[in-house]
Amino acid sequence: MNFIKCLSTYATGTRSFSTTSCLHEIRKLARMRVVDNSALGKAARLSGKPARVIHVYNKTSVGTVGDKVLVAIKGQKKRAYIVGVKQNQKPNMPKFDTNNIVLIEDNGSPTGTRITVPVPSALRKKGEFSKILSLATRFV
Amino acid sequence: MKIELCSYSGLKIYPGHGKRVVLKDGKVFNFLNSKCCASHFMKRNPREIRWTVLYRRKYKKGNLETVAKKRNRKTVKHERGIAGATLQDILAKRNQTPEVRAAQREQAIRAQKEKLKVQAKKGATDKGAAGKKKAPAGKAAKGGKTSKPVAKNVQKAAPRVGGKR
Repeated sequence: MNFIKCLSTYATGTRSFSTTSCLHEIRKLARMRVVDNSALGKAARLSGKPARVIHVYNKTSVGTVGDKVLVAIKGQKKRAYIVGVKQNQKPNMPKFDTNNIVLIEDNGSPTGTRITVPVPSALRKKGEFSKILSLATRFV
Repeated sequence: MKIELCSYSGLKIYPGHGKRVVLKDGKVFNFLNSKCCASHFMKRNPREIRWTVLYRRKYKKGNLETVAKKRNRKTVKHERGIAGATLQDILAKRNQTPEVRAAQREQAIRAQKEKLKVQAKKGATDKGAAGKKKAPAGKAAKGGKTSKPVAKNVQKAAPRVGGKR
C-alpha cells in the first residue's frame, strides 16, 4: 500500500497532484532475490549486493513470471528466470512478497539443485520450465 | 478446480475470484477479495471482525455447532485383576462377612503376640549390639502381662486383612 501523501493546498500553499501507486515492475537495475541453493546466489545475498537485472528478454522490457532476464551477480553476468513477482497479478497467478529468480547456465539447465520457496504452478504451461520445476519443493 | 477458503474471512473462493499472496517466509494466503486482503495487511485480527467465520466461531454464533457438542460420553468401569491378585481373589476379599474378618484379625493378633513373646525371650538372653531392638520388645513383653490393652498396641503391627480401602 504505497501512497504519496497529497499535501493540501490550504496547509502549505502548494498544489497537490495524484500519482499511481508503485507498480513493482521488473525493469533494468531491479534488485532480485535468488531463490535456488546455488553458491553464487547465497554469496550475493550474504554480501548485501543482490542480483540486479541488466536486461529483460521481452518485447516490452518489463519482466514478469516466466521471463528470462540477464542479471549481474558478484561481478558476473548470468541468465535467470523470474519465478515470482511483487507486482499485482492477474487471477490464477499468485503474488509474492519478493521478486524471485532462479539462476540458469547458458545451456538452460539451472545452477542450483533445489528451490525451497513456493513456485507458481502456472509455470508448467508457460514455457519449458520442466528442469526448474523439477527442483521445486512447493507449488502455489 | 478446487474451491479454496479465504484465509481471512473463511468464506469460499470459487475459481476465477480472489487473490493469492505468498509471503517472504513461504506462507500462502488466499483472499476472497480486496476487502479481505486489505484487512489482513492492515493487521486487523479476523477474530474481531464480525462478518468473518473466525469471529462467528469464537463467539459461537449459529446453531449447528451447539447440537454437535451436547453428546456426552460415559466412561465404562471395568473390574480387573492386578499382578498380585486375580479378580476372583479381590472379589472374595471384598465379599467377606464381618465375622470372618473379625476372626482373621484375632488370628493375626494372636500370631503377632506369640512372635513378640519369642522376641522378648531372645532379647533377654542376647547381649550388646541388639540393644535398640530389645527396648520395644521389652516393653511389649511387659505389656503382654495385661491382656486387652496389649491387643490394641499389637494391632498396629498386625498385617492388614481385608481392611479399610
